[in-house]
Amino acid sequence: MTRARLRLLVIGVTVVALAATPRFLSEGAQRFLSECFLMLAMAEMWNLLAGYGGLVSMGQQVFVGIGAYCLFFTSMSLNVAPYWVLPLAPLVCALVAAAIALLLFRLREAYFAIGMWVFSEIVALWVSKTEWLGGERGMGLRTARLVDARWLEPLTFWMSAAIAVGAVAGTYLLMKSQLGLGLMTVRDNDLAATSIGVDVWWNRFVAFVISAAGCGLAGAVSFNATLYVAPGFAFDANWVVAMMFIVLMGGIGTLEGPILGTIIYFVLREVVTDVLTLSPSWYLVALGAVAMAAMLFAPEGLWPMVRDRWGVDWLSVRRRPPIRSRDDELVARGHPVYAGDAPREGGAAPPGARSC
Amino acid sequence: MIWIETAINGILFGGLYGLLGVGLALIVGVMRVVNISHGEFIVLSAFLGVSLAAVAPWLHPLVLVVPVMLISFGLGYVLQAVLINRIITRPDPFAAILLTFGLAVVMRNLMLEGFGADPRTLAAGTLAHASVRILGLAIGVLPLLVLALSIVLFVALQLVLTRTRFGRIMRATADNRDVVRLMGVNPARVYNVVMGLSLALASVAGLLLAIRSSFTPYSGVDRLLIAFEVVVLGGLGSFWGAMLGGIALGVVQLVGLKLDPNAGPLYAHLLFFVGVLLRPNGLFGART
Repeated sequence: MTRARLRLLVIGVTVVALAATPRFLSEGAQRFLSECFLMLAMAEMWNLLAGYGGLVSMGQQVFVGIGAYCLFFTSMSLNVAPYWVLPLAPLVCALVAAAIALLLFRLREAYFAIGMWVFSEIVALWVSKTEWLGGERGMGLRTARLVDARWLEPLTFWMSAAIAVGAVAGTYLLMKSQLGLGLMTVRDNDLAATSIGVDVWWNRFVAFVISAAGCGLAGAVSFNATLYVAPGFAFDANWVVAMMFIVLMGGIGTLEGPILGTIIYFVLREVVTDVLTLSPSWYLVALGAVAMAAMLFAPEGLWPMVRDRWGVDWLSVRRRPPIRSRDDELVARGHPVYAGDAPREGGAAPPGARSC
Repeated sequence: MIWIETAINGILFGGLYGLLGVGLALIVGVMRVVNISHGEFIVLSAFLGVSLAAVAPWLHPLVLVVPVMLISFGLGYVLQAVLINRIITRPDPFAAILLTFGLAVVMRNLMLEGFGADPRTLAAGTLAHASVRILGLAIGVLPLLVLALSIVLFVALQLVLTRTRFGRIMRATADNRDVVRLMGVNPARVYNVVMGLSLALASVAGLLLAIRSSFTPYSGVDRLLIAFEVVVLGGLGSFWGAMLGGIALGVVQLVGLKLDPNAGPLYAHLLFFVGVLLRPNGLFGART
């Protein structure tokens, strides 16, 4: 079986398994898995921005909040079931991101990161002062009664699973495209990227807008499941803390890394809060400490270690350079090609470049 | 009249904001590193102040500035030596941000466990409300003292940087950390002292801010964002810019609160955005 067929088979089996899952799981288990899927999707979006685009944002929670508020507000104003207006959430987030990028892309590196945080605070403060959005008290999703309660959990599960799969597959396809290549060039060396004709600003802009839309969609589904939104929860900086933790632990700039990171994140949470029965703040202490340790001792995250140890490489977007024509000729003529001549996988990585 | 008083209080208060920011401007200028846990250390200094005041109630709160400053200097020195120096030479510009972000999360939640989530203030007795009348305007004594202290610290920092041997070493290390090694300077040790100074300056502001307004373990985020806005508005690495940026933020925040009592730091944040839009290099940076 070829690699492509195998991949198709795996995808097919995954889709069928996910579609059938709600039949066999309790509502609590479905809710927990939905949470995992949405967190994974958000982490992949943060990874797209930071790991592939070289833009660290500490304000991605703003899009989680905007997505959620967008869903609640339009659904209740139009008095339709929230699912019909779900596409508006990523759309509005993409528009907001496009507008704010014009302003914030003037800031570099750390300044962009914190500038995004300030933007998130502004939106959160504005929402908590705005009465038609429920102010500080927030609002309940009244239009949820338009949906059969028995379908609430399965629908949330399917949407979350679809968003997670979409986030991973979408990032994969994006990185395989011309745009993805440009993006990684910009991340590794923006000066060199410019000199070979890559539009740095545009590449970052596209990544930022996609990332915002993804976070908005995941946020909308997440708060649709809880039926209640308030600024304190929607614009909580802990959203970005979780995204960052998952990506750093799993492996920044890899697609599999955030999947591994999400598993560690939720296992750690269940162990600290359920097994050790400590308060959620101890859990955050553990998260922060593990993230620090990762940054100090394994800045690449866990996935690259797993990958190199066992040679598994499922979703690599690594490109193999074309074989040089001289070697082609030699091979065609039956001459041996010296091992040193064979192009190494991905070429020699420049110091400091993250593996991709 | 009330507006002039508000604006003057904003100026006096802004000196504190300048101090919050100048510590950050210092490490940005010398090390090109942003310390995300800056805000948490500011809040920690306020908790230190409250704890010291509980142990030694006979001490005036303004005297507490000295021990809190010394402890914060030590914490900064250790933070740099134990954590940040390990990653500062990495080519990845985000290593320090992500590391200190993790530290901020740890500190915030440890303070939450240790001190609880209740809002607290540092009692300053009659000083907190005392005022003098100047030209018919009621000016608080505390804000005046605070501004005076801020200016003294600013001038001291400026003198250290421009007139002393250590200031020369700091500036040289900022320019090129590899070349100063040839002159027998250990950049890591310079960085330790710079981080200590940064947190010491911030701790003074944190302590004085705790007299004026209440704080919780969650206040670190607001403090960090204000400090950061001061640095960007004032122009990166510019100390007098930081002072004026702080004053601008202080005035806008107090006038904003007068107009709109539940706005919180909304107007200060908005001023920052307008500032970035009009002058991306800060009030005193070069025009682009």
